[in-house]
Amino acid sequence: MSGVPGVKEDCEELLGAFLQADTVRFERFAELWRERRFHTIFYGRMRALERNKLTKKTLDVAQQYFLPPYSFQIRVGALYLLYGLYNAQLCQPKQKIRIALKDWPEIQKFQQDLLDSQHYDVAYIFRRLRLARAFHFTAMPKLLTYRTKKRIEESYFKEEFRDPCNRVNSLITNDVLEEMMNIHDHYQKMKCVISADKSQPDKALSLIKDDFVVNLKDITLEHHEWQQNRVILLQNVEETNETENKKKEETLLKSEGSERANALARIKYRSYSAAIEVSKSRRHRQVHLESSESGSSCGKSPSRSKKPSRRPQPARRRGAMQVAKETVTRHIGMPIITEEDSHE
Amino acid sequence: SIDMLMPSEKAEDPDVIPEDGRLLTLRIRKKALQRREETIIVDRACRQETLTYEMESHATGKRPDNTTDLIEEGELLLTLNIFYPVIFQKHKDHKPYQTVLVLGSQKLTELRDSISCVSDLQIGGEFSSQPDQAPEHISKDLYKSAFFYFEGIFYNDKRYPECRDLSRTIIEWSESHDRGYKNLQSLKMEDYVFNDLSLKIGFPYLYCHQGNCEHIIIITDIRLIHRDDCLDRNLYPLLVKKHWLCTRKCFVCKMYTARWVTNRDSLAPGDPCFFCDVCFRMLHYDAEGNKLGEFLAYPYVDPGIFN
Repeated sequence: MSGVPGVKEDCEELLGAFLQADTVRFERFAELWRERRFHTIFYGRMRALERNKLTKKTLDVAQQYFLPPYSFQIRVGALYLLYGLYNAQLCQPKQKIRIALKDWPEIQKFQQDLLDSQHYDVAYIFRRLRLARAFHFTAMPKLLTYRTKKRIEESYFKEEFRDPCNRVNSLITNDVLEEMMNIHDHYQKMKCVISADKSQPDKALSLIKDDFVVNLKDITLEHHEWQQNRVILLQNVEETNETENKKKEETLLKSEGSERANALARIKYRSYSAAIEVSKSRRHRQVHLESSESGSSCGKSPSRSKKPSRRPQPARRRGAMQVAKETVTRHIGMPIITEEDSHE
Repeated sequence: SIDMLMPSEKAEDPDVIPEDGRLLTLRIRKKALQRREETIIVDRACRQETLTYEMESHATGKRPDNTTDLIEEGELLLTLNIFYPVIFQKHKDHKPYQTVLVLGSQKLTELRDSISCVSDLQIGGEFSSQPDQAPEHISKDLYKSAFFYFEGIFYNDKRYPECRDLSRTIIEWSESHDRGYKNLQSLKMEDYVFNDLSLKIGFPYLYCHQGNCEHIIIITDIRLIHRDDCLDRNLYPLLVKKHWLCTRKCFVCKMYTARWVTNRDSLAPGDPCFFCDVCFRMLHYDAEGNKLGEFLAYPYVDPGIFN
């Protein structure tokens, strides 16, 4: 379906402003809405057929932000946006908002969250929409149309609106760690029991790393911190984009789009100095930098193209920044652990 | 609190795009509108647009006179695209279709009755010698069999004794060797409603009638019935979109739709040649009704007859 040009950008701009406001109150949203006179989005001389089609597509665009994986605040903003668009539309009878069957339990959960956290104004808005019968409950989220598309558009999630991905945390929870600790202890005891010396297991039986569970916990914590940092990093990058503040060069984050040599030199410097201290428990596995070839190759790639340049070699380095020329794209390497050189 | 979102002054004209807009949408739209004003001479809805709009919206909000015909809450509404079997070159990329809304509790036979296909109205036979006897038996009455194919099951129309099981051939074919189609079944169309079927959205299914006239059916949407929909059960299956086919006009008067086609006609400028009823008789028969010249004449039903 060919979309309505500009609607996505306008919605994202409004939702972004709402996100900045850092509140979920309707009054704040209404202020932002009035500032932009968003109700005029349906204006423009057009006949009824075209207006129907346009309104339907606009509501469809706004509806996408109402569902996961967007963060809570964005979803609240999307609900307000849907409310505003539904009431501002000029079609008679009004075009409805499509909700797919698979999304309905999540929306119900969302509503329950709202009531639990006492955001009654949001819940009220939702109830108003329900009462006004603004929803079509459908099997599939998008109405199928059959037009040959020139290119397949992928659904694009704006990065900042997403909730940070919590998959690691949901996999390695406290319970899981505790369980693993118990099993680990039990295993050690079993080994002691069957070996000759009762106080510690035989050397021949040591097949796993002893502090495995502790390491796992540390890694999980690190991942979480990295995620936080990344979010902050992205935000900082956006700010420096707008302000072009030269002072930020000193931080690890970015450099100005200035002389090519300067940029290259800075990258090289940073990539060489980016080794970070590891925690005490893993001192014996200090991260070490690789040889200079990789550094030079990573220095060359920004100059080649404006696209976000990925590292040519598989990720075995600590997170240093790659800077593309004028476009500001960041690639933070995943924190990884280098293997021991000698195994026990 | 809707008022918080609406402008306080009510004197705004929705046709005029405000100058101070911060919205990208409006800026783009304004440019498009300006371009249109420069290039289009008369800006008015054409026939096709009026037709499309009318068909989409003519039934919204209708209520039946008789309350037993009211559709209940929780009824499902399916949207089907039924493709025409017409194969013209200009339809290569986008095959024309009609869109029908059907209720979940309606039988398959009701859908079958509502599909209007031009091949149902064909009249077989050559009638140059007896032109007055022509429109007697249309194919719809002669060949009543039809079937739907959904998800591996053929639903045959068995309401009349003349109906045959058209799908038997296919089932026998698939069972004769292992062709990779498992478990094709044959059932009666009139026993089933749409709620009984398990369907895939967007997957092409088949409707076959007249022995070899095949239509592809695609289900585009399933949703719950809504207060603003048409709630009169008698109006369903409801046609909401139809492709407009140009009708062939008579070669002589160029006004009326063609009702006859002739082959090997010594009196006609070309082969085949189309005539409306009046022109056909005037040209080929004299005042007493005798046949003049040599020709073969067949009754013709134009695909655009349902416009």
